[in-house]
Amino acid sequence: MHKTKEQLKKYSPLFTHYTELRIQENTNISLSMLNGDVQQNSKATTSGSSARVFKNGVWGFASTPQITDEDIEDIVKDATNNALFMDEKQKKSIQKDKIPKLPKASTSSENDFSSKKKKATQKQLLDFLAELDEYIDTNFKELTSRTLYLGSLDVRKSLYTSDDAYFFSMVPRTILYINLAMTHKQDNSTIELYDVLGGLGEFQDVFENTHDLFPKIDKLHAHLLNKTESIHPQAGIKDCIIDADVAGILAHEAIGHTTEADLVQGGSIAGEYLNKQVGTSLVNIVDFANTYNNEICPVPVFVDDEGSESLDTVIIKDGVLKNYMHNKESSVTFNTKPTGNARASTFLDEPLIRMRNTAFLPGKSKLEDMIKSIDDGYYLMKSSNGQADSTSEFMFGIVLAYEIKNGKLGRALKDFTISGVAFDVLKTVTMISDDMSWSCGGMCGKKQSITVGMGGPAIKCKINIGGK
Amino acid sequence: MSSNVSKKIQREKKYDVCTQYCIDTLLKKGASKASCSLSIKKNQELNAAHGQMTLNRTTNNISLILKAIVKGKTATLVVNNLNQNTIDSAIDEVIVLANSSKEDESNDIASFQKPKQFNSGSQRGDINKMYDLFINYLSYSKDAYPKTIIEEAMFEFVKSNNYFRNSNKVDFYGQKGYYSFFSMFTSKDGTDISSFNYNGFNTNKLELQLKQCASIDRLLQQSSEQIHSITIKDKFIGDIIISPDCLSQFISYLMGNIRDNALITKTSIFQNKLNKKIADNRLTLHSNPVSENISNGYFITNDGYEAKNSTIIENGVLKTYLLSQYGAKKTGLTRAVNQGGAYEIEKGETSYSSMIKNIKQGILLCRFSGGHPAQNGDFSGVAKNSYYIENGEVKHPINETMISGNLENLFLSIKDISSETIDFGDSILPWISFKGVTVSGK
Repeated sequence: MHKTKEQLKKYSPLFTHYTELRIQENTNISLSMLNGDVQQNSKATTSGSSARVFKNGVWGFASTPQITDEDIEDIVKDATNNALFMDEKQKKSIQKDKIPKLPKASTSSENDFSSKKKKATQKQLLDFLAELDEYIDTNFKELTSRTLYLGSLDVRKSLYTSDDAYFFSMVPRTILYINLAMTHKQDNSTIELYDVLGGLGEFQDVFENTHDLFPKIDKLHAHLLNKTESIHPQAGIKDCIIDADVAGILAHEAIGHTTEADLVQGGSIAGEYLNKQVGTSLVNIVDFANTYNNEICPVPVFVDDEGSESLDTVIIKDGVLKNYMHNKESSVTFNTKPTGNARASTFLDEPLIRMRNTAFLPGKSKLEDMIKSIDDGYYLMKSSNGQADSTSEFMFGIVLAYEIKNGKLGRALKDFTISGVAFDVLKTVTMISDDMSWSCGGMCGKKQSITVGMGGPAIKCKINIGGK
Repeated sequence: MSSNVSKKIQREKKYDVCTQYCIDTLLKKGASKASCSLSIKKNQELNAAHGQMTLNRTTNNISLILKAIVKGKTATLVVNNLNQNTIDSAIDEVIVLANSSKEDESNDIASFQKPKQFNSGSQRGDINKMYDLFINYLSYSKDAYPKTIIEEAMFEFVKSNNYFRNSNKVDFYGQKGYYSFFSMFTSKDGTDISSFNYNGFNTNKLELQLKQCASIDRLLQQSSEQIHSITIKDKFIGDIIISPDCLSQFISYLMGNIRDNALITKTSIFQNKLNKKIADNRLTLHSNPVSENISNGYFITNDGYEAKNSTIIENGVLKTYLLSQYGAKKTGLTRAVNQGGAYEIEKGETSYSSMIKNIKQGILLCRFSGGHPAQNGDFSGVAKNSYYIENGEVKHPINETMISGNLENLFLSIKDISSETIDFGDSILPWISFKGVTVSGK
């Protein structure tokens, strides 16, 4: 599946307009275990080739699951014909002076995160799950159910464009999802808590042995035990500390999406805020291309699926909205440079403006001091799902949280929902912790489902709590 | 089956040969039971971004799903390439994967059913007509709602041919063609902005302008009104009307409680509620995947049974769970005759306008941004693109308003079901009003 530049360049005589040719293979392994029973034991490989052609402001795209010379020639022709169809139909409606001229990019890059170790077999993966399951079953008898899921996704892409840009990448991700359930002591309802572990890399690089995970499982169980005596939070605006997991989803869902240039063109509120103060001066948000603090991010992108170099996009600097994320076409509209955010999920998807690794930057405070600074509030540690709007109004489900009373952590809280307008919440940020961590299982579903990284430090701000 | 056989013989025969080869070889290689599902899918798709049609896509894909059971252990392997080497490697690998798994007597394949062919919709999309209807939609929305931006829209024709075969001599073939439209939009006036909203539908025929289908025009019009929305200041317990566009989300929450996972783990709010009342007497909910009324249903369930229409809730009584073959064996309950979806709720006797008049204080819920309900059915979330209702009148669009309630109580507290329904092509749903929901403003 690794195609060299020369192997792809040989099709360039077929290119009659700006053309991208991509060969891609996605391999998914999904294993799940419910109360010790294997419920899912599957592997799926999806591979193929696609071409996208630009003519007079419109695009044509075609794809096939085949990768033979003949099939690739066919899809380049089909994509070209699809662009010509649109061009012919739209001739009357598009003004010539408004046709964007795409910026040229001729970057070359090969980034292979394949494991150097011997590849683990699916039996080894299942045995790994079974060992974890046995540990949980043996040690935590009071659980009413336990679910384990191990998933890996290896994405191999080769791209060549008519601008002579080329890249090959192999980016693997392996995640382990653990969900435990117990009965609430007061109302006998079922309560659950999950954790996601893992990240960039193939299984054998991400999980060395089950024993390394036992302390994390113990910690998850301890939080769940606390939840068996959980109480409802009080509704209303509260002083809160949102931990890395919730900060990451806030950065991605509520700020990140509103600053994707296509959504700005679609009317997002961030279109009104460029170079304006949108948060306190403590707030910094960056969409990292591939590296933060000399470490590779969860979803590293070096060259995007249009062949542009992938650059860090500083979205908010010292509380001021500074940049949007771009592909080639939007960079022309906004009179700036592409940021390398064009990404496609599978071989049959066209590149869209997508985030890569979006995070709040750390501040200078210590988490203990942040907790001490709150008399009556909440510590929000883990979210279930999140949605946000073009207005930046967001809603996140919270599944792990504690009350803060007189500067100390108190009782665990039952599941609840938080909401607010993100650009308003950023104006209430008064403390940011000096550390940060990445969430490892992020998927974003903007037309196509794609892996993303999100992260941050702990942030003290005011949040609207939905309660009874 | 020889390599590249595809170019020498008829299409259907080629795929029949391929699926039979897979079953025969899986059995030969050690599977005690095997199934093979092959789907060939072609999409023709027009896309618009910020009000302009910008992209024309044609995509082809194949999905060959092999399932093997070896000594009670099972695995599934999916590839999207039918060359001989790929198929042979996939067969070898799925046997290895099955052997790696754990024995479970609930693993099985569909039992024998008579061979059958299914067909719905047309086999060819009319791209020129699609283009014309799409352009008309974009110009209509621009002219009628100048402050509304079509952020993205997609109009596609999907054609799929599906072959299903297993070692119990199940042999199904189905072909399906349908059009699908989706549009997402926001309305904006300077810094005043609506929440985004979206709508869509599926159909077999291109007989109407897009704006006339499902709730397309109504939601565009609502979006343009929602630029200037007002926050509700107080908290109250009132009535909510859930629109057909939003209702499918709540049905999905309900159905989650009658599927495999909830029933196997005994966490369903409807555990042991079969043939018992779980909703108001006026609620009748069907799952009709093979109904003439549904343009985008399905013929074959994922576990290889011919799909049949069913009534899930009849006059408020739960008539079936939605258990798969595995879930049924695991729980000792009965397998459902379909896998849900294609929902139709029988219309009521109250007109939509009368439903509004019947409400003293409440909201018209048109989109719900909420977390998944807790195991006990408690839900909460933000009412998006919604309206405040007072003294029988829709007063104004709202923002930053949360609603909360309990799923089980909600469907037992139905106030009215509308006499009007909306046909989305993959579901047909009315407006339903519910009592006793907590509404809290900022």
